[in-house]
Amino acid sequence: MSDFIIHVTIMSGLYALLALSLNLQAGLGGLMNFGQIALFACGTYGAAIAFHFDFGAVSGFVLAVLAAALLGWAFASVGRNLQADYWGIVTLALAEVIRIIATNEDWLTGGAQGIGGIPPLYAGLDGQTRQLVILATVLLLVLAAGLFCRHLIGGRYGLSIKIMREEPQLAASLGYDTIALKRQLMAVSSVLAAVSGFLFAHYVSFVGPEQIDSSETFLIWAMIVVGGLGNNAGAIVGAFLLQFTFAFIPFVKDWIGLPSEYVAAGRLLLTGGGLIAFILFRQSGIVPERVGGRRYV
Amino acid sequence: MFQFLVDVLMRACDLMLVAIGMSAVYSLMKFPNIALVQYAATGGILAIVLQKIGAPVAVAIVFAVVLTGLVAVILNEFLFNRMLKIGSSTAMIGSLAVSLVFSAAFLVTVGPNPSRFRLPVSKPIRILDARITEPQLVSFAIVAVALGVFALLYFRTDLGRCMRATSTNEVLADATGINTARMKTIIVLISGVMAALGGVAIALKGEVDIQIGMDLLLPVFASAILGGLGNPFGAVAGALLISLVETVVTTINFGPLMGQVVVFLPVAYASAISFLLLVAALLWRPRGLFVSEVKRV
Repeated sequence: MSDFIIHVTIMSGLYALLALSLNLQAGLGGLMNFGQIALFACGTYGAAIAFHFDFGAVSGFVLAVLAAALLGWAFASVGRNLQADYWGIVTLALAEVIRIIATNEDWLTGGAQGIGGIPPLYAGLDGQTRQLVILATVLLLVLAAGLFCRHLIGGRYGLSIKIMREEPQLAASLGYDTIALKRQLMAVSSVLAAVSGFLFAHYVSFVGPEQIDSSETFLIWAMIVVGGLGNNAGAIVGAFLLQFTFAFIPFVKDWIGLPSEYVAAGRLLLTGGGLIAFILFRQSGIVPERVGGRRYV
Repeated sequence: MFQFLVDVLMRACDLMLVAIGMSAVYSLMKFPNIALVQYAATGGILAIVLQKIGAPVAVAIVFAVVLTGLVAVILNEFLFNRMLKIGSSTAMIGSLAVSLVFSAAFLVTVGPNPSRFRLPVSKPIRILDARITEPQLVSFAIVAVALGVFALLYFRTDLGRCMRATSTNEVLADATGINTARMKTIIVLISGVMAALGGVAIALKGEVDIQIGMDLLLPVFASAILGGLGNPFGAVAGALLISLVETVVTTINFGPLMGQVVVFLPVAYASAISFLLLVAALLWRPRGLFVSEVKRV
């Protein structure tokens, strides 16, 4: 049982990194990115392709981060003069194109079978200890990412992003280059998503196109809306809350004695229902965004 | 050659009605309603289920379409109207959440296996070298009639005039005594009915599974945006263009270009190409292909 809890905590941590990344884009910058999973895919496929062609894990990491930063930059450039909802559709479409390419280019990505046998993290350690060390690594990374995001939001840069979100024309009139701001924000937050993807690939040792389905993006969206859009702690809380709830759906199903379709349906229902309930009844989420207050500019 | 045209037309019929619904609802509500593709799935699946229970095909279709229209109105009244007060981006995320709940409901009620209408098997008719089956003709007729009726309603009746007035300038329409709230309810009802009919038209031609809604999402968005979101009849042209590109890409033999005998793109790339077309359209003609108004700076 404790193994299971450790596994779920590691997964929650990886999703927390993704949620922090999306929170920077959507919560702080107001960018409706529906292609978040494509940035994660840069991380997973970076690791997998480096393993597949024997480049070594370090170059895999470099590849993952570079690809994600580039894609984030491209997302921001594509959306430079689009409205938020149009941009959301574009990112969704681009993420889907990337998934289709990953499914069909067998020589590069292993196609629909994916790439398996990626060496696990800390290969020298044995089972239980390894899990604990991975857990510690992931939790430390989440903490570091959280502090980094706090630093970013609290500082001058965060204020400029917020003014771009609330009053883009005012921001432009004050001399802020809003397109450059968007590009930087996307590139920085993409790196977080890539780190999550890289660790994920080495943790589960398998990378396939079904892991980067658009429904995963919607799940990350549900995490940050439930947790509280614009608040870093909220993103982490949302990720852990949803992952742990999902982990216990199968037990509830067995306990009530329902067929196994209900597990998938339960996940969808929780994601969708959670989003609707929080939008309607508690728009600020569990941990609301702090407006004003102490800053260290 | 004629077979090629028929293929394009059949694919366009799949997308057209849902795209019109999406465009029409955008013209008044000012947010892209993702749940619309799930209304299409509901229409198709509900009609099949009703036929299984024992209703004649025509009765099943009418019931399914009317019920879906009512569901659309109810959801709009209780969810989307309230979300729109917060903002159009929020309403878009909300409509995404609603479509996740729809997916969960389908999974629980009909299960993951595809289903189809029980229709007598008929021999395909040959028209100018092209094979056309009877259900294909019926489905084409449904789309054509729905299109004609909607065009009449939109351009020739007082109701349509009021709708167009509301979509052009809501405040002015309100001031001239048009009940804009009622217009919105009516357009939502129409969009639900159109989407459901689109779903029925797809179901008549073959199998329908619960993924159909999400599979429709991006091609429908692409059609609606190419035609200029908010311009229902632009969506018809958009759907034709998208299906033309999809069909061309999958039926052209790239062999001679690459120095080989036969090289076909994988079928999966058909949708990738149409998504890229969508991205290109948004980059260069973000307000659609048919908008000629000069934007004032």
